[in-house]
Amino acid sequence: MKKVLAMVLAGGRGERLYPLTRDRAKPAVPFGAVYRIIDFTLSNCLNSDIRRIYVLTQYKSISLHRHIQFGWNILSAPLGEFVEVIPAQQRVDEHWYQGTADAIFQNIYTLQEERPDLVLILSGDHIYKMDYRKMIAFHMEEEADLTVATIRMDRRLSGSFGVMEIGGDGRIIGFQEKPEEPKVLPGDPEGIMASMGIYVFTTETLVRRLIEDARSGSSHDFGKDIIPSMIGEDRVFAFDFRQGDRGGTGYWRDVGTIEAYYEANMDLISVTPQLNLYDFTWPILTYQLPHPPAKTVWLEEGRVGTALNSIISHGCIISGGNVRRSILSPNVRVHSYAEVEDSILLEGVDVGRHSKIKRTIIDKDVQIPEGTKIGYNLDEDAKRFTLTDSGIVVVPKWIRL
Amino acid sequence: MEEKILLVEDEEGLRLFYQQELEDEGYHVLIAKNGKEAIQRLEQEKPDLIILDIVMPVMDGIEALGRIVGKERKIPIILNTSYPDYRQEFMSWAADAYVTKSDDLTELKTKIRNLLEKGKTP
Repeated sequence: MKKVLAMVLAGGRGERLYPLTRDRAKPAVPFGAVYRIIDFTLSNCLNSDIRRIYVLTQYKSISLHRHIQFGWNILSAPLGEFVEVIPAQQRVDEHWYQGTADAIFQNIYTLQEERPDLVLILSGDHIYKMDYRKMIAFHMEEEADLTVATIRMDRRLSGSFGVMEIGGDGRIIGFQEKPEEPKVLPGDPEGIMASMGIYVFTTETLVRRLIEDARSGSSHDFGKDIIPSMIGEDRVFAFDFRQGDRGGTGYWRDVGTIEAYYEANMDLISVTPQLNLYDFTWPILTYQLPHPPAKTVWLEEGRVGTALNSIISHGCIISGGNVRRSILSPNVRVHSYAEVEDSILLEGVDVGRHSKIKRTIIDKDVQIPEGTKIGYNLDEDAKRFTLTDSGIVVVPKWIRL
Repeated sequence: MEEKILLVEDEEGLRLFYQQELEDEGYHVLIAKNGKEAIQRLEQEKPDLIILDIVMPVMDGIEALGRIVGKERKIPIILNTSYPDYRQEFMSWAADAYVTKSDDLTELKTKIRNLLEKGKTP
């Protein structure tokens, strides 16, 4: 078995997820009631037997740092296993990371100490289940210098992805970064092969390419700079996500916007979600306090605590209110005669009596006073909260109502 | 125009020796006694080439190399050391050339000439 080191890029600002990213980096944004976005990537690592993991952070990293410190301190240091956060140290250069490649280059001394055979570079921003071992085996079989994980996407989305052109032998022969006019797939004019931002590098090639890139005036990005410079020179291969997809549904999401975030969460309350969280052969781990079980109370005329087609986390009490098609993180209270519909309530939210909440995301610990209506008069909501084009209201953390 | 070389070397005797030899070749030689001084000098002056010792007090050559390459991308750097093990250090790969220290400076001078020539061709 080759020695593999995983480096998870977790510095994303996630500006289009504002205000959920006002106080936290994107990988630390809560998802699926009890998880943080980064839990999926870290769980994939552990489930793939990769137990040497660095998480590279820079902006707003306290929340992420705390989550990893409390929730992911589960490996055995004496066995050489770790999940460790490395904040930007400015050792090599006195600026923040300029691009994804610069983030790794600035941690070259860490690579030096670990001296792995292979480096698995991941993003902490995506939600999917993947067996990285399959990709690593492929990389070794092809004696590749770099293997890029790829997924078929609709060509309309080409402006958001690195688009790859793949030769018959699986080698990448062309790469366009976020093109307007993408190279479509042979025999599939509506499809493109997109990079998932997942790379396996042979360490020596990685170091040489990073140094070369650091000494050039590029934007220091894997997609824009490193991959194009390697095509035709090094052995660069594409690995089809379907070969390593543990969900079997091709599920992979970059929840980059509030809309995408909302839809991806809401998918989880369907009868058979695309993302199966109940596969105990591929557990998704997270940090959870030992809250008491969820409960519903009151069963009397006109005052019944109910939750239908919803996810209810531990610590929640539905106390005489009604919850429909919603996702409740731990410790949420819904008081009597309140109605919550098509909404996402993060940890500690308290919905007062007679309140009505619809198509709204409420960030942590917000107290909704008695009789408040959110999501019913969007013009009014827009004065106080973030409102998306599709009419989703986001109530930020700390707000006093 | 006289080409400028920044010589980074902590040992005084060696420094004087290199300086003399390089000036005889017609180069203008700037001096720094360690990596930190080298970085400070680079803030004021732009040499055409840097000769960098590795084992130095205050800041060693590998650490300095890391800081220099991100900022001064175009200036060629020669690592000049008595210790062959430095190649184990990933950061040493960022240098343009490597020379093992010796009394005979022929190899060093050849590498300097080649790198400076290379810099002139666009």
